[in-house]
Amino acid sequence: MLDKAYGVGERAPQVDGPAKITGQAKFAGDIKLAGMLEAKVLRSPFAHARIRSIDVSRAEALPGVACILTGNDLGDIDPYYGHAVRDRPIVAIDRAKFAGDPVAIVAAESASIADQALELIVVDYEELPHATTIEEAMVANAPQIHDTEQLRLGLFHGLGDFQPHNNICYEHHLEDGDVEKLFSKADEIVEGEYRFPSVYQYSMEPHLTVAHWIANDQLELWSNCQHPYLVRAEVADIFSLSKANVRIHVPYLGGGFGSKSYTRLEPMAAAVARKAARPVRIANSVTESMWTSRRHNMICKMQTAADKDGMLLARKVELWLDTGAYADNGPRVVATAADAAAGPYAWQAQKVDAFGVYTNRPPSGSYRAFGATHLQWIGESQINEIGRRVGLDALEMRKKNLLKFGDTIRKGGKPLDADLIGDIQKVADGLDWGEKRGENIGRGFGIGLLAAGSRPVSTSFLRLEADGTITVLVSTTELGQGARTAMSQLVSEVLKVPLSQIRVPDGDTQITPYDRSTGASRSTTLAGGAVHLAALDLREQLIDIAVKMWKLSDEAIEIREGQVWGGDKSATFAECLEWHFGFVGGELFGRGIVRPEEGQGTYSAGPVFWEVCTGGVEIELDRDTGEIKLRKVVSVADVGTAVNPSLIKGQEMGGAAQGLGNAIFEEMHFEDGQLMNGNLADYRVPKLFDMAEEFVSVIVQNEDGPGPYGLKGVGEGILAAMPAAIVNALGELGIEINELPATPERVWKAMNDSRQDDNTLQKKIGGE
Amino acid sequence: MRTLTPFSILAPTTLQDSFQHIEEHGWNAALYAGGTELLLTMRSGLASFPYLIDIKKIPQFDEISFNKDEGMLTIGAGATHRSIETSPLVLEQLPLLAEVESMVANIRVRTVGTIGGNLCFADPHSDPATLFMAWAGTTFELVSSAGVRQIAPDEFFVDLFTTARAENELMSKIHLPILGKRMGGAYKKFVTLERPTANVAAFLGLANGKIDSARIAVGSVGPIPVRAIDAEGTLLGGFPDEKLFERAAETAAEATDPVDDVYGSKEYKKQIVRVLTRRALKQAATRADRSQ
Amino acid sequence: MQLQTTINGKPIQAEVPAETLLIDLLRDDLDLTGTKRSCDMQICGSCTVLLDGQPVSSCSLLAYETQDRQVLTIEGVSLNGSLHPVQTAFLQEYGLQCGFCTPGMVLTTLSLLAENPNPDEETIRAHIGSNLCRCTGYYPIVNAVKKSVQLTNNTPGD
Repeated sequence: MLDKAYGVGERAPQVDGPAKITGQAKFAGDIKLAGMLEAKVLRSPFAHARIRSIDVSRAEALPGVACILTGNDLGDIDPYYGHAVRDRPIVAIDRAKFAGDPVAIVAAESASIADQALELIVVDYEELPHATTIEEAMVANAPQIHDTEQLRLGLFHGLGDFQPHNNICYEHHLEDGDVEKLFSKADEIVEGEYRFPSVYQYSMEPHLTVAHWIANDQLELWSNCQHPYLVRAEVADIFSLSKANVRIHVPYLGGGFGSKSYTRLEPMAAAVARKAARPVRIANSVTESMWTSRRHNMICKMQTAADKDGMLLARKVELWLDTGAYADNGPRVVATAADAAAGPYAWQAQKVDAFGVYTNRPPSGSYRAFGATHLQWIGESQINEIGRRVGLDALEMRKKNLLKFGDTIRKGGKPLDADLIGDIQKVADGLDWGEKRGENIGRGFGIGLLAAGSRPVSTSFLRLEADGTITVLVSTTELGQGARTAMSQLVSEVLKVPLSQIRVPDGDTQITPYDRSTGASRSTTLAGGAVHLAALDLREQLIDIAVKMWKLSDEAIEIREGQVWGGDKSATFAECLEWHFGFVGGELFGRGIVRPEEGQGTYSAGPVFWEVCTGGVEIELDRDTGEIKLRKVVSVADVGTAVNPSLIKGQEMGGAAQGLGNAIFEEMHFEDGQLMNGNLADYRVPKLFDMAEEFVSVIVQNEDGPGPYGLKGVGEGILAAMPAAIVNALGELGIEINELPATPERVWKAMNDSRQDDNTLQKKIGGE
Repeated sequence: MRTLTPFSILAPTTLQDSFQHIEEHGWNAALYAGGTELLLTMRSGLASFPYLIDIKKIPQFDEISFNKDEGMLTIGAGATHRSIETSPLVLEQLPLLAEVESMVANIRVRTVGTIGGNLCFADPHSDPATLFMAWAGTTFELVSSAGVRQIAPDEFFVDLFTTARAENELMSKIHLPILGKRMGGAYKKFVTLERPTANVAAFLGLANGKIDSARIAVGSVGPIPVRAIDAEGTLLGGFPDEKLFERAAETAAEATDPVDDVYGSKEYKKQIVRVLTRRALKQAATRADRSQ
Repeated sequence: MQLQTTINGKPIQAEVPAETLLIDLLRDDLDLTGTKRSCDMQICGSCTVLLDGQPVSSCSLLAYETQDRQVLTIEGVSLNGSLHPVQTAFLQEYGLQCGFCTPGMVLTTLSLLAENPNPDEETIRAHIGSNLCRCTGYYPIVNAVKKSVQLTNNTPGD
């Protein structure tokens, strides 16, 4: 299947398919090092507690225990990390800040011994008052989760002003126009208070890291991380190592979805391996991974003002995101949520006040389409409500108010680079919007924007091996999205070689060059951009050789069918190399570097592109139980140019499934900070039976992206659109949802509430 | 999940040997069949046993047989859910049992897990437990060195994870009478998490267009599945129509006393019981009507 | 305990503690790492292997249970070094992304086809419906199983 060239736009098979389908693909958990110890983590049972003392003597005496790491072992390093805020010690120092916070780590000859040792550690805790919800954390005299005076910025803060205070970790404010004035003259105002739950990314593979010190100044890690270069920098900083002396291998990832963004288990694994002076593995259970990363729960107050013709005037938003005990990626989520809050409409004024709040809960970080998923359902349901009041259909409301190509989204930032009205029309067409449906059938859609791309820094080398095959050195993490296939196709497009002659090895910070991160839908656009440039560079070098070899002009040289041609002469790449080096050896390197154009490197001037988040659903409601059955999903992927339509469709279908989960199933339940459903029996993710029978995937290719061939990223938008579409479909059925997930019970209750409202109304009318 | 603490497995090949192991080790030993629930409990750190007594090697322990004269299907307690679900005998004689068994957990659990293990574990969310509670004439056979005794489901299930099985007893068989003419049964469950929020089994018998027997059991909303006796009473002698089913369903729901938990609020669970009962009764009536 | 079993057609004799889980025997002792641990409570299906042709969760099954029985893992699925038609079908239909649930999906599909070479869509969904995938939204997996039916029935001698 791979023995063929596949260019841009073709449905290439997955280059990593054969390895994965045979079970040969290596994941982090498949790495075994000689002498490797198994580490297990002792975690705080309390949401907030002072650690008076830890007695590890009995545990240490257990045969087979190599060492035990506690906060007392961190004196000779800078134990605090956090890419945004350095607020997190490797293991708790003095205080545990959430139920699940690592307090000690045992490294032993086997997992079984480590488990036994955990039970022998005696920790003397003093329970402290805790703040385990946003409300508790925001009241005056709330327990302070951090001494904010002492907090330091992380290495990749990048968000400008940073003034944490009380339990506010970060805040972000947008203001444009005179909101109050517009509200005072508005004909229609819709307002509400909304809640988004804490959810878990649930990649099938939990977090896992293997650490191995080669010498006291050289550390090697195998880790299922999405952003190895950012992890490298943080780990180097903790242990005062040269960044180049921290080598991170990134094998295949069993999914990420943001949960494996930034630094996770690496500092713990490295610290224990250092103490044990042996290789150590830490493998999370699902429960532990739920304590490691999750999506922020949120409270949001939103008000939307419009005139009597349905022209939108202004929007006011206040939102509080629960970042848990440590900032993690909270500040970025706050900023992105603020960006997404107003929605892509031609507001005359908008005001957004967004806060990231520390609580005594597990830390929250990135999850696919963060910010947009939090806000889109709220904003879009208010647009529909305005429409209902003024007698305009949801589609008409969008056509009347959506931003147009080139319009300003936020001052100083990138203007709109997509055709939103064209996109939403395609969603409506996919739903047969004009047609009537039965009384329990609801339809809805949503549209929004997501600031995508993160920092535009990516590099790549293409190595033309002596045998004529090509090794693509790029640090994009393959986590299922098909990055290695897309990169191969970008090379194949330029150099016309079969995919079987292109290899994309594992990320390895000692070998594959710098890439900022794998997330924010950036890889094909930015890392792909670097690979594309590297392929062009290599192509030029090959043409140059052929010009000299055949004494032809460069216009006469052509590359096709994996060979270099000059009129009727042809040579394989290997033959070109042999001629060039005068020997059956030697290699060429293509080089690709993507960096910000002037003014494009900062967050305020960004994003790299705006990812369109749109899609629609048709649902059937069981009015007895409140259960929703998804009948149809329409996704519109506005990708500029599709490198591989099949992979894009795969992203859309997977994203829609996760969006469904966020919309109607998933919620991490906490009681006094204790996670009550930290396992798959009680935490529900979508199953095959939950998916709609019909999935319509539309790919829009307007070549309006910043990547090669006008492409832009994809894969997150549909997730954000799904809750909006489902909430609007319920709205069409007269059911108002202001808290997700819209579980059967919540829908049933909302249905009864609206029925009671109707009854009261009828009684009123009847009485008069 | 934690690693399992060490244990030894004893694998008696006769009933006598198993009694001997049970008597020797008492509660230090756990009876082990499929292990799907036992091992999960042990790996969750909720229990540990130095000995597991594997009772799957006892001859005929997983046998499914049908006594035509008595109209009685007998399922060996060691039969796996999957073997029951796919058994031609069960599919022919008691298709409802096959249907319910196919709804237990997932295919991998059904491949390994046994019907006897399921019942003896007495998880309040059990599918077959609720079914058998409603199934008139069902008995469980318990054996020990002292002999054999038959026990009805409503005496067998005592409390949350607690049964009337004595320390020295093991469940050997489940006896199920086949349904008579003009009898129909149905089973409904409502699932949002892995285990059901509520489940309901209902059986109706019809005579001259009226209901002459009715059995309803409600599970998952209390420590053990319970009969909805009052609801059954409202049905007897009535015409099998939606209105009556709704009334019975209401009565069944009111008789439950669920607690608020991760599966839902008390109020919502009652609603689900109401809906499931109505739906189960309707289907049971249709099936009764079709059964000649 | 002394364990005698057959894994991927190969007789295995091993001295293992009675509490050894099958997944640990496979991954740690035999280096068959294609079997993946995920939920660790016999729900998700990532660790599915076939025991005498039937799907089981190796994360929650004692290795003891494989005594004198046949175990098939993903490493034993390929036929003489070439892909099994079920594997080909998954590749053709993009029935995998990250690959973590994939071995379990393939093995579960094999158990279905062994039992029913021509399953209809409902049977397919019922059989594979409890295996979890977080990447694909399941559509390509259902298509892959349907394609497996076609390809398997067209493979001579299979």
